[in-house]
Amino acid sequence: MSIKVWAFSEVPEVANEVASAADALSKAAGGTYTVIGVNGSGPRLAGEAKLVLKGSDALSGSPELTAEALSRAAKEANPDLILVGSTRNGKEIAARLAVKLGRSCASDLFGLAVSDGALRGKRNAFAGKLIGEVSTPLPCVATVKVGAYPTLAPSAAAATMKEVGDLPSKSHLVERREKPRGTVDLKGAKLIVSAGRGVKKKEDLALVSELAAELGGAVGCSRPLSSDMGWLPEEHHIGLTGVSVHPDLYLAVGISGQLQHVAGIKDSKIIAAVNNDKSAPIFEASDYGVVGDLYAVLPAMMKEVRSRRH
Amino acid sequence: MKIAVCVKHAVDENELKVDPAGNPQFAGAASKMSTFDKNAVEEALRLKSAHSGDVTVLTVGTADAKKTMKEALAMGADKGVLVTADPMSINTGRTAELLAAAVRKAGPFDVVLCSEGSSDIYSGLVPPMVGEMLGLPYVGYAKKIEVAGQSAKVERSLEDSVEVVEAPLPLVVSVVSEINEPRYPTLIQIMQAGKKPMEEIAPDALLPESKPPSPLFVGMKAQAMARKKVVFEGPPEETAKKLVDALGSEGVLPR
Repeated sequence: MSIKVWAFSEVPEVANEVASAADALSKAAGGTYTVIGVNGSGPRLAGEAKLVLKGSDALSGSPELTAEALSRAAKEANPDLILVGSTRNGKEIAARLAVKLGRSCASDLFGLAVSDGALRGKRNAFAGKLIGEVSTPLPCVATVKVGAYPTLAPSAAAATMKEVGDLPSKSHLVERREKPRGTVDLKGAKLIVSAGRGVKKKEDLALVSELAAELGGAVGCSRPLSSDMGWLPEEHHIGLTGVSVHPDLYLAVGISGQLQHVAGIKDSKIIAAVNNDKSAPIFEASDYGVVGDLYAVLPAMMKEVRSRRH
Repeated sequence: MKIAVCVKHAVDENELKVDPAGNPQFAGAASKMSTFDKNAVEEALRLKSAHSGDVTVLTVGTADAKKTMKEALAMGADKGVLVTADPMSINTGRTAELLAAAVRKAGPFDVVLCSEGSSDIYSGLVPPMVGEMLGLPYVGYAKKIEVAGQSAKVERSLEDSVEVVEAPLPLVVSVVSEINEPRYPTLIQIMQAGKKPMEEIAPDALLPESKPPSPLFVGMKAQAMARKKVVFEGPPEETAKKLVDALGSEGVLPR
């Protein structure tokens, strides 16, 4: 069976990850893939075949309009598999598209393969405690876990342009503002020092941020610190419902290690933890752990790190 | 204001046991209201107290899901609708179809709330599917909802940006956990929850399925946690040195 795959994301860099998933899949299963863009994104996309959907300015950034545009184009070209980058908007686009096309849909997949007329893949479940094997009959729509595939470089291939026509909208965007990034982007950080409930006062976060600064790393936190205490902006929240990170070193300070937090740090190369509770689950998820009071261990680590550098 | 809130009864991911071969032990596993659904119920109750009206809680689940239904009723929802199907043995699309059909039957509603994803599978697909199936405006990942007259202004929390979106009622909204702090029901509320109306609907009576059920998952295994789990104990100066030494040998500290 020769399959026809579409790769899309509203974020061009993610689209090029999805393109690499589509590339691997179409090579293995036999078939072709097309990278789909919207409005001016063509030059930033990878792949030899590109299709760019042209519409109003509102089309870029609106999951509602993007799903409708994709649906119109897919009804003509009839791809067997539409892969969408699993961002928040991407999941909405995929879900809407699946309903519009009357197809089934699965989200956050990696390890994709096609066999016996079905898309196979893996996905995390139960906050990462389990890994599930998924099977969805073709034709279908699926979202691809962000970061699961390498990024293909943009290609010089010219895109086929397609006018999508007028798109009806049930809602409208009033305002969009960028979230504050902090000093370092957590998603791209090589080293992250992260704070949890073991930190007793907001001022004490200085211990964590000073160590992070000494190590040239970024500061993250578990959900309670951003959500309940409001000590750090939401953008620092690492975990299932926050940011997923993959640094070389993730140092968890005073973090108990609930599944929801660990789900966001699994892809770290080395995980280390400092916690005064020997039975804290974070030690089960760590390569190295120190059982001790963070208020004593962090200053000692700071001293140790400094002495090594001089 | 007529408010619907869709919830899921889920196996508690923290309590789920795995046998030595890595097989999850779903039979008899502890279960609960999906974590973030409490935020959806809370938001429904806040809309109710600000605009008056009533809250209907809807779920697709087995008989065990009555526990979650009762919890939502104890928190302050007025009535429940249970579509008796096991979400683990049908796929995401069918679950959304059943929820949408149940919302249509129990409605009309001004606002339909969901959480961004369930704490067991966390697919994030059901809320936008329900919105699309109902043909209503859908706004996902809300961290703030303001309803004025026949229109809602919703702040959406995306990865790198915050958007403010306006849409007319009726609409479907999914919420993130930052939106509020869910309340705990009082003992009296818990006792009274059992007296509130709860309707049970068989899925085929609601929306007959033409295709055979196709579960999304063909298998599940424990995720291998291949971590070294080396733990240092002792005086802070010693353990700090051991940790820094270990991280240095791993090559993950800056030189």
